[in-house]
Amino acid sequence: MIEIKNLTKSYAGRTVVDDLTLTIPKGTVFGFLGQNGAGKTTTVKIAVGLSAPDSGTVTIAGVSAENPASREKIGFAPEAPYFYDRLTGLEFMRFCAELFPRPDPGVGAALTPGSLGRMESILRDVGIYEAKDRAIATYSKGMRQRLGFAQALVNDPECIFLDEPLDGLDPLGRKEIKEIIKKLHAEGKTVFFNSHILYDTEELCDSIGIIHEGKLLYTGPVKEFCAGSPLETRFVELIEAQKHHI
Amino acid sequence: MKTIYVIAKNTFREAIRDKILYGILGFAILYLFLTLFLAKLSLEELPMIKSFGLAGIYIFGVLITIFLGATLIFKEIERRTLYFVISKPVSRAQVIVGKFFGLYAAVALTVLVMALFYFGVIAYQGGGLDLGGLVAVFLELLELLLLTALLTFFSAVMAPLLATISAIMLLFVGHLIDGAVMTLQAEAGGAAFQFFNALRFVLPNLSKFNVRNIVVHELPVEPSSIVVAVVYAVVYSALLLYLAAVFFKRREL
Repeated sequence: MIEIKNLTKSYAGRTVVDDLTLTIPKGTVFGFLGQNGAGKTTTVKIAVGLSAPDSGTVTIAGVSAENPASREKIGFAPEAPYFYDRLTGLEFMRFCAELFPRPDPGVGAALTPGSLGRMESILRDVGIYEAKDRAIATYSKGMRQRLGFAQALVNDPECIFLDEPLDGLDPLGRKEIKEIIKKLHAEGKTVFFNSHILYDTEELCDSIGIIHEGKLLYTGPVKEFCAGSPLETRFVELIEAQKHHI
Repeated sequence: MKTIYVIAKNTFREAIRDKILYGILGFAILYLFLTLFLAKLSLEELPMIKSFGLAGIYIFGVLITIFLGATLIFKEIERRTLYFVISKPVSRAQVIVGKFFGLYAAVALTVLVMALFYFGVIAYQGGGLDLGGLVAVFLELLELLLLTALLTFFSAVMAPLLATISAIMLLFVGHLIDGAVMTLQAEAGGAAFQFFNALRFVLPNLSKFNVRNIVVHELPVEPSSIVVAVVYAVVYSALLLYLAAVFFKRREL
């Protein structure tokens, strides 16, 4: 379970996340929606330990996000990822796996977290297995996005944070990533993802949160929010109503 | 410890796959061979080869360290590759220490390759095993340890150009400060002497690591001065890494 309580974060005097409170139950696929600069990425960065809040807390399975131990059971795929270009895809996966406190069972091991078998299986799932021994410098934008997603799964996480996971992917790539998210959902994993591709969000999510200028406008089941209308229409209506209200 | 080792191994692998590193190393080895010809210009060939050779190892070692070290942490912040590392159960202090050891391993490897060529050249010239040269290279490695820590610190708090300029300035000051203090003590004394003498305890005092002129002329190096150099390099580097970790912990990614 992810619990965000009264989270506030400012940059250079501008409040980016303003008293945000959210609870995401275990096993939920949660879409965090908002315009550019609404505070989505900042929230995720605090949850995965990349940034510290000014006030408030984020706990993952009861452990504070500021404690590195909270990251043993999470995965994170950043938006538009950059890599160590001189490594191969498989070397990068191995590097990420070795950062977790588990022994590396080596070649031919079963699909245990961090094992070569698991790494290869994930690379197959995301569609870049054939390129695993090539330097990342030679990967296309879509392949990099897939590798960023793949490394988030290397430790068999309970909870996966994805920042714009479908951005930069072609239709086939989007379909494959969506299939993996659905598979993770079926396995009972919690998936928290930021997205501005609302069609996909509607298809994937159990529940959503809508954030605007750092403030949470809505949180709850996606179907309840849509009430028969497309998510995009309802989203635009809510944001515009908020702007007029201000 | 395992996390630090993993980060160090990755940093080392990235560093040794850098083509520019091989460019610098190629020039260094070419230079070491050229010392054979340069030495023919002097009356005493072997001391000249030793002098040029050890200075070459030092200068190219410094060049490689600055080239690889000035962007060590900064590049990871700018390119956001650290997102993959910090979002794992890894502390920022572990990142600093791991990057430091990985870079130093790459620097030490290149210095050892250069030293191998140097000792080969000396043996070829009939100098046998240059034990003094071994001591000089060991102390050069210690200085590069300190320089690596300095660059790790700078790259965690400032941009690469500023880090490079700061490191070069400290290298000059670090080598000259002992001489400056002695000159001031002999000639003037007073406030200027007190000021530079105080600086000597704050800024890296690098003259401890330079025994090249001594070993070239086959004079003995005091074992106690080697012990002092080892302790100084380790303690100063540890302090710099501690400071780098403190600053880096507060830095927004």
